[in-house]
Amino acid sequence: MYAREEAAGKMFRIVHYVNQFFGGLGGEDKAGTTAQVREGPVGPGRLLQQALGDRGEVVATVICGDDYVAENETEAGHAIDEALETFKPDLVVAGPAFDAGRYGLGCALMCRTAQARGIPAVTGMYPDNAAVITHRRELLAVPTGADATEMKAAVFAMAELGLKLAGGEELGPAAEEGYLPRGVRRLVLKDRVGYERALDMLLARVEGRRFASEVQVQQYEKVPPAPTIDDLSRAKIAIVVSTGIVPRGNPDSMVSAFSLESYRYSIEGVDALEVDDWESVHGGFNTRILNAQNPNYALPLPSLRRLEADGQIGRIYPYFFSTVGNGTAVGPAREIGRRIAEELTDAKVDGALEVAG
Amino acid sequence: MDRIGQEDLVVLLGTPTPESSKLYAMTVTEGDPSWAGALAGEALGLPVYHIIEPQIRDQIDSEVYKAEVGVAEMVLDSEEISATVSGVRANNTGN
Repeated sequence: MYAREEAAGKMFRIVHYVNQFFGGLGGEDKAGTTAQVREGPVGPGRLLQQALGDRGEVVATVICGDDYVAENETEAGHAIDEALETFKPDLVVAGPAFDAGRYGLGCALMCRTAQARGIPAVTGMYPDNAAVITHRRELLAVPTGADATEMKAAVFAMAELGLKLAGGEELGPAAEEGYLPRGVRRLVLKDRVGYERALDMLLARVEGRRFASEVQVQQYEKVPPAPTIDDLSRAKIAIVVSTGIVPRGNPDSMVSAFSLESYRYSIEGVDALEVDDWESVHGGFNTRILNAQNPNYALPLPSLRRLEADGQIGRIYPYFFSTVGNGTAVGPAREIGRRIAEELTDAKVDGALEVAG
Repeated sequence: MDRIGQEDLVVLLGTPTPESSKLYAMTVTEGDPSWAGALAGEALGLPVYHIIEPQIRDQIDSEVYKAEVGVAEMVLDSEEISATVSGVRANNTGN
């Protein structure tokens, strides 16, 4: 309480982080943009400023290209750190990144860099965002929907949570404060002892009333590794790509993001993918080189054919499977994988080479 | 809009999904919901329809509609797109 009273009326200084798209620099073609700092709010930062009102001021915005931040974490971290040194914010707000994976990682880097300096930080993400999965314990993130139409709700939630942090308030549990659970447990004093609360829960369960367990068990998924292939020279190997390679013209209308399907295409008798016959429809990276010069970067057929000809692998399964991974949540992605694995198992394929997009 | 005025102006969408339809419909009514573009915070309040909505479809010569939109319509989630865009219109207080 003391901290809050002391903070009352104070105009907090806030530095905001956005990617190249929300920073107004451009789409995937600008994803390599190095860190830039602008004074004042940019893009959704203007909405953040509205949400803060006279309680805080967005003094600067850090903008990084998604590819740049994902591929140059150390360098980007230094640039962010310099911006924090210059602007000395009381609070950092990043995103929201919704379900954009690289943007999420950028937001996570911003938050982690700020926290390392003792500056509180808040972000917003879809619960399945790769950054939540990677940095769950370090991130204070409000849950958002999957796409930018929920910007307003997300930004206002981030602002409220952020202001609490900046004011030095102790946050309550995730479910009460409205942030994604971080797997952190704190000792608290309850009014009633454990067995009484447990009995209440038991009665609620028996009577079909709603109750919330006090122990939230994180469900970690265990993926047992496939058994090793003893003799590759006799193995049948399939190719599965999430690089969005399709016959030119995209006959099945594969979507470029948020895919719920995969498609299979024959490569029987094909030694290399010709640029006139194949293309990538992936919407999450720059496909110019694939589509103008060489699609084999996204499906290394010539190399595999060489290994096949040399007898290092038995043979290549005559169909490959293609999808795009960007934007697809974990549940549907698992379902796509299950369907592919089913066919590969039926066809007695020994192993699959997976090329990520 | 600055040039031609708002009167007799309607925005027609040809967007492929309920999500993208919502994004663009919101952009021309209450302002760019992503706050990434020039229309962030600009409530234009324009009437907006998707081309597959009956109010629009019924005004187009059916042969022309079939030739230009028919195939696309078959693969679109027409019901959800219509519901989404009409939902945005219902919230369009700027109009």
